[in-house]
Amino acid sequence: MSTSIQVTRRGLLAGATALGASALLSACVTSGGGGGGSGGIVLQSSLSDPAPKAVLTKVVKAYKGGTVTLNTVAIEQFRAQLSTYLSSSNPPDVLTWYAGSVARDYASKGFLLDLSDLWRGDGVAAHYSAALKDLSTGDDGKQIFLPTNYYWWGVFYLKSAFQQWGVSVPETWDDFLALCEKLKGMGVNPLANGIGSTPWMASGWFDILDLRVNGADFHKELLAGKHSFDSAEVRAVMKRYAELVPFFDPNMTSYAWQDAVTPLVQKKDAMYLTGAFISQNIEGGASYDLDFFTVPVIDSSIPKAEEAPTDGYFASAKTKDRKATLAFLSYLGTGSTQQEYIEASQSSNLPTSPDVDTSGFSPLVQKGLAMLSETKQITQFFNRDSSDALQTTADTALTKFLADPGDVDQILKDWQSAAKKVFEQ
Amino acid sequence: MSASPVAVMTRGASAGRTGRARRRLTRVPAVIWLFLLIPLAVELAWVFWPAVNSFWLSLTRWNGVGAPEFIGVRNYADLVSDPIFTEALLNNVVWVIGFGGASVVLGLALAVALNRPRPGVGLYRSAIYLPMVFSLAVTGLFWRVLYQPEGAVNAFLGSVGLASLERQWLADPRTALYAVLVAAVWLQVGYIMVLYLAGLKGVDPTLEEAAAVDGASRWQRFWRVVMPQLKGVNGVVFAVTVIDSLRTFDIVWAMTRGGPYNSTQLLSTFMYQTSFTVLDLGYGSAIAVVIFLLAIGFIITYLVRASRNED
Repeated sequence: MSTSIQVTRRGLLAGATALGASALLSACVTSGGGGGGSGGIVLQSSLSDPAPKAVLTKVVKAYKGGTVTLNTVAIEQFRAQLSTYLSSSNPPDVLTWYAGSVARDYASKGFLLDLSDLWRGDGVAAHYSAALKDLSTGDDGKQIFLPTNYYWWGVFYLKSAFQQWGVSVPETWDDFLALCEKLKGMGVNPLANGIGSTPWMASGWFDILDLRVNGADFHKELLAGKHSFDSAEVRAVMKRYAELVPFFDPNMTSYAWQDAVTPLVQKKDAMYLTGAFISQNIEGGASYDLDFFTVPVIDSSIPKAEEAPTDGYFASAKTKDRKATLAFLSYLGTGSTQQEYIEASQSSNLPTSPDVDTSGFSPLVQKGLAMLSETKQITQFFNRDSSDALQTTADTALTKFLADPGDVDQILKDWQSAAKKVFEQ
Repeated sequence: MSASPVAVMTRGASAGRTGRARRRLTRVPAVIWLFLLIPLAVELAWVFWPAVNSFWLSLTRWNGVGAPEFIGVRNYADLVSDPIFTEALLNNVVWVIGFGGASVVLGLALAVALNRPRPGVGLYRSAIYLPMVFSLAVTGLFWRVLYQPEGAVNAFLGSVGLASLERQWLADPRTALYAVLVAAVWLQVGYIMVLYLAGLKGVDPTLEEAAAVDGASRWQRFWRVVMPQLKGVNGVVFAVTVIDSLRTFDIVWAMTRGGPYNSTQLLSTFMYQTSFTVLDLGYGSAIAVVIFLLAIGFIITYLVRASRNED
């Protein structure tokens, strides 16, 4: 027994030391993350992927208007701590985030700086599109967000693969199903996806089918809790979704979204509904081979809507230096900064500033721009239009549905009761 | 004559003890007090205060912003009717039994097998202990690759003619929890082995020899002679195993994130998801309190039983 006591005591001491040390360390980190006051401003960034991080570092360094300290935090931690950042007494001045309900929620609690000045007169965002302005406006009519880039969702495929198989882009929903059937007959998995460690990818098809079947207005209301997931409308969406289930790559449940790009490039899978960020994961020769089409119309009486998640920045209401913060945001919003960021980060993101010369962008990006400009309504993505809490209910429901589409009644019932809990919170 | 000095001495000793104790206290230099009090303050402020706070938070509704709203025991009432909580709790029972049982049995067996010095035994010991140097998250990523549909596990099964057993280990709700369990045990076995190896070093070999001379079989010698001497180590192993299995988080998070549809959800992953993805910190704290009560319940039961056996 004496050995056990020794070990425990030593373990306790070691543990206490470690805890004490880590507590002190985290205290340092927290204070380092705060705003600077006279020492310049702080930009808290969640762009931790190598390419975007490197470009943002460069962009921040090139800023001549004052000192800006860049803190990069991995997105998961950033998301978990965002409320702590904003409610602390010494918050970061500028933070990366995305447009949508979360930003609006924080604005209604008074955490976000009013950015209306940037949106009027000769402000940097004064000439951004009305849709973007609408997206950046809080419930009280003030702008609280500065969008700097956005991207679109579409069905991506390789032109050379379609040529090799002798198939073409489908025009109607029936064409699309027939194409899937044909590809499956040829031994190719028609649809790629990765819902293993990224189960939110299952919401991509749900969103777009809801936009096609019920329209953007219903979709937004559904995600705001004004309709039931256990309703006839959602059942109609799931009926369409069920038509696709046999065509998915059977390995999708093991893949993350990044893994699912591999069989697409290897021509084992044919089509992948995903965001334009897929181009970052396709290297070399295949990148100009990449093309996309939008999910065909199902009900022609529904105005055409697409998903185009918008990224950008917001600022903390408690910033010590409002003028410097606005000046830095103006810098981030200018056409030249956006252009530099987009070109260097290898993404297929689109600029929000109309001043950016897009003629040098790749044909894929040009096509994306043209597609969105013809679109009547734009939504973000499931979690951006609702909340991360509702997203977890969708993840459970939709991955379960994809495994067992026959159980749809029970799944929708469970989904609604889980969603109800989220909205009652 | 012979008795009185002893009596005087004991009386003198007991009289002087309290005085000496007091003097000993005052004789402790201020620097030592400083060294004792600072860690105590750090411990109180950074460990105990947050822990107590989580009890309070579990009685509130709070999303991390603004003031928590007191709602009594509603979070606990919700837990009882929450199907995900029930699933996580059942998974945790499977986990404690599977993880604890398998790693202790395998660790003990390996320790006994590798206890005797023989050529190359050090190599085996370090090879088995090696996984322990990886973090759980790295282990999770590594095993995720092995379990991929075209990964090593399925390739192996296919090559030995067991293709019918091939499946998507982490994506099939029937196998996912056990697949993660195997990876966790793989890591833990080396640790348990080292604990038992240390224990076996303290076992008196002459007792085993004596038992052998008396005609005890190997099996009897192990259970009747060696095992009783490993009692201290068993206590450590039990505590380590229970605490490790209740706090298991990283490997599950790295491999499945509690999915597919909550089939690998443990209390810890459910707590993390509720607290930091859903940002329902009150409900998350309630789950944390349940985990704490379970752990402390196990440990206290064990300690009470252990001390009763000693009496």
